[in-house]
Amino acid sequence: MIRTSAPPLHAVFGALADPTRLAIVERLLREGERSAGDIAEPFAMSKPAISKHLRVLEDAGLIERRIDRQWRVCRIRPEAIRELEAWMARYRKFWDISFERLDKIFAERRKQENRDA
Amino acid sequence: MPDTAAAAADRDEADCTLVIERVFNASPAEVFAAWTDPTVLTRWWGPEGHSTPECAMDVRPGGAWRTKMIGPNGDHIVSGVYREIVPPSRLVLTWGWQQDDGSRGHETEVALTFQPVAGGTRMRLVQSLFLSKEQRDRHNWGWTSSFNDLERMLA
Repeated sequence: MIRTSAPPLHAVFGALADPTRLAIVERLLREGERSAGDIAEPFAMSKPAISKHLRVLEDAGLIERRIDRQWRVCRIRPEAIRELEAWMARYRKFWDISFERLDKIFAERRKQENRDA
Repeated sequence: MPDTAAAAADRDEADCTLVIERVFNASPAEVFAAWTDPTVLTRWWGPEGHSTPECAMDVRPGGAWRTKMIGPNGDHIVSGVYREIVPPSRLVLTWGWQQDDGSRGHETEVALTFQPVAGGTRMRLVQSLFLSKEQRDRHNWGWTSSFNDLERMLA
C-alpha cells in the first residue's frame, strides 16, 4: 500500500525542498564522503549556516556524520535514498494496477458496442 | 558527469518524475471522463484488492477531490485539488495521502494528457515529486542518476 511512513519520508521531503540542502545531497551522492568544510566551500554562506543545513539533513535521516581523526565528515545514508526509490515504485504499481482495470472497462464497452451494432 | 545546466535540465525532466504512458481503446473524451466522472473512476481506482466506495469531485480549477479506498488493511484516503482542466486533452491535480494521524502527507502533482492516436488515446501521466513546476525548476533532483550514483558509491 502507498501509505507513507509519515514522519521519516515527510522529513526527507521537507529537507530536500531547500535548494542548498538538495545541492549538498546531490554532491554527496556524486562524490561520496566529504568534510563539512568541503561541503561549505561552493556556497556563499557562513559555516554555521551550512552546519544548520547539515543538521536538518541528518535529522531527516538523509546523511550521517562522523569524526574521522580531527575532521567531521558527512555521507549519504543509502537507506534514505532506497526508501525514496521504494516510494516511487509503490506509486508505479498503484497506477499500473488501476490502469489495467480501466483497460478492461473500455474493452467491455467496445464489446458491448459491437454487440449493439 | 559534468554538472552542466543542460544535463541538469535533462535530469529534471527525465528523472524528477514518475512517467507512465498507456494507450487505451477509447476516445480522449472517454479517458478524460474516466478521471472526472465518479461513477467511472470508482470502478478502476486503487490498488489490488481495494474498492473505492467514496468519491467526491468538484471538477473546476481550484476545486477539491477526495476518494476513500477500502482494502484488507483498512481505509486509505487520498485528496487534492484540480489545477488545470482542459477537456478532453489535459488534467492536472494535486495528490496527498491522509496519514495515520489524520494529517495530509507529502503532496505531489499529477499531470495527465490525453492524445488521440491510432487505436484510441495515448494517456501520459507525469507525477512530480515536488509540488509545483516552479518549485521543481529550482531543483535538479535526478532520480535515476541519483540511484546510479548510489549504486556506484556502494560498489
